[in-house]
Amino acid sequence: MTLADLIAERRIIVCVGSGGVGKTTTAAAIGVAAARQGRRTVVLTVDPALRLKDALGIATLDGKPRRVPLGRGHHLDAMLLDVKRTFDELVRGLATTPEQATRVLENRLYQNLSSTLAGTAEYMAIESVQRLVEEGKHELVVVDTPPARHAVDFLDAPRRLLALLDSRAFAILKDPTSILPAAGSRLAHMLLTGVLRGLERFTGMTLVREIGDFVGAIEALMGALRTRVAQTQAILRSDATSLVLVTAPEPRLVTETSALVTALAEVELRLAGVIVNRALSQAALGPDAVPAPLPVALDPALERRLRRTFEDLQRLARRERETLAPLLTLAGAPILAEVPLLTAAPAALDELIALGRWLVPAACAEPARGRGHG
Amino acid sequence: VAISRVVPGHLPFAAQRLVVVTGKGGVGKTAVTAALAHVALDAGRRVLAVEIGRARLGPLLGASEPLGTDPVRITSALSAAAIEPEDALGDFVQSVLRLRIFARRLLESTSFQVLAAAAPGLAEFLVLHKINGWLDARRLGRPLYDVVLVDAPASGHSLPLLDAPRTLGALARIGPVAETLGALDARLHDPAQTLVVVVTTPEELAVRETIELHAQLAGLGLPMAPPIVNAMPRRRFSVADEQRLAAPDVAGVDHPLLDAARFQIERRANARAQLEILRSALGGGLVRLPFLYDGPEAAGGIAELAAVLADAADAA
Repeated sequence: MTLADLIAERRIIVCVGSGGVGKTTTAAAIGVAAARQGRRTVVLTVDPALRLKDALGIATLDGKPRRVPLGRGHHLDAMLLDVKRTFDELVRGLATTPEQATRVLENRLYQNLSSTLAGTAEYMAIESVQRLVEEGKHELVVVDTPPARHAVDFLDAPRRLLALLDSRAFAILKDPTSILPAAGSRLAHMLLTGVLRGLERFTGMTLVREIGDFVGAIEALMGALRTRVAQTQAILRSDATSLVLVTAPEPRLVTETSALVTALAEVELRLAGVIVNRALSQAALGPDAVPAPLPVALDPALERRLRRTFEDLQRLARRERETLAPLLTLAGAPILAEVPLLTAAPAALDELIALGRWLVPAACAEPARGRGHG
Repeated sequence: VAISRVVPGHLPFAAQRLVVVTGKGGVGKTAVTAALAHVALDAGRRVLAVEIGRARLGPLLGASEPLGTDPVRITSALSAAAIEPEDALGDFVQSVLRLRIFARRLLESTSFQVLAAAAPGLAEFLVLHKINGWLDARRLGRPLYDVVLVDAPASGHSLPLLDAPRTLGALARIGPVAETLGALDARLHDPAQTLVVVVTTPEELAVRETIELHAQLAGLGLPMAPPIVNAMPRRRFSVADEQRLAAPDVAGVDHPLLDAARFQIERRANARAQLEILRSALGGGLVRLPFLYDGPEAAGGIAELAAVLADAADAA
């Protein structure tokens, strides 16, 4: 399957990958390409960078879909993930009474947790996607995901959030003495309680009590949350969704990306393919590429410098090949597109459109343009 | 953009005891940290190089085994360690409570997440606490390490790290933690002790983020070094070469050698334009490091970067 097929057939395309691989730009370019083919498309990004706003040529990028006119009657919607707001709305939606919602929303711990707890941003990205799908205004949702430090955080976030809220660890925090055996001695209980009080005095915080309050408040929502999470899980694993790995041939990415690929497989999420960004052309610079004699007469010294420059890039291309090979084997998915190392990142709409031509060449009459070494 | 806090001409191997290296992901922070370690070693200083939660620094420094929380000696003057915030919490609680069994069970990793979320700055504080301990470590009446070099997390995470004493200080106002926080904060803001180095590449995205990060860090009142621009494309062609390649009989010719040259020339021109943007935002005094085609892990890579950094320090 090509990226063009995915754009035409899927309802959700999720771009996953490490930080700094060009995920946001790639998601935006896929969105632009899809919208130009007439698909009603929305791009959900997690990157509040000014540059994306500039590239799309819009004044506001926030938690509501904003229209990006693309000419010829086409347009794309773009929105920014607002973790706090999505979480708040989710809590309000799940609570059976307004008081129940208020009790959670006003807890100081919730206010910190809702934006900093590992996995929350990831889950809220998915929650936003589900909401967009349910609203039905768009045929395709292209999702840019938060960078994965802990790879599993990604798409398994719903299950993890639930597991966390359900977990024994959480129970411990609600009532720390529960780590003691049921028949634990009174002495042990007293000892531990003393230790916890000591910890609170030492840190000057009332953590343990606040955590207990929070768990008490959120427990009331657990049943409804469980149902919601099950729905989200199902959508992500259905044929409506495709996951695309965005990466680049850089050594620093290998460990993290390999961990991500392995973790995705463990939670039964399959990759539809890989987009390799910032790659030198292996066709032009591979080991067998021996340049023919120059068709023009140049000073021998200049020709030596040309050869040296070519060999530099060839060395770099070899290093890239060696960096990517194990990752591609592990991913077990086809390369959907190789985007050349562009001399400058896309900063305007026409450059995003040009980038789209590298991603979905068949869909565009004009050939790919822009000086990339590819 | 506030640049008043840039310590002019000071590169991180003069007198500071704590050097924090940060920047956007993928700009080569780890390679620069390793190169700075070499420069400090050559200046006769005893160095502890520390990375936070990754595993790239050890190999670049020649460590034969993965780094852990306890510093390992690589040479007589060079040690290295890696900090995982989660382990640091366990160490901290155990050192305070001296009740290992309870501490361990209480601090399973999910509990840690909840605790860390409940107390913004806690994870960062624990990292700083650890670093502070190394700075204070003494043997035979003198510091165990002359300089502690920290390969800090990428931009978005380094700000909370360096601001942790204040964010957490707002929560813990009294007690031993509050005292430690006060001492840490003073140390971080003292230009005689601390220097923060932002690394960037001459690319649009990285330069933008660097200008922002620089302003934010300077806004926290931290002593800033001039930014280090890493992976600068080398100059391969003279002006006359470039004119020749642009001449009518060459310009339209499609050939791998010429394509490679055009690519190199355009990349360098773009890099120079980005350098200008950086210069006009942050003032002069940038340090430029060359692009390494074989990567910093190849033989001689770190030494080459270190040589350039040492020259820059001499010139300053």
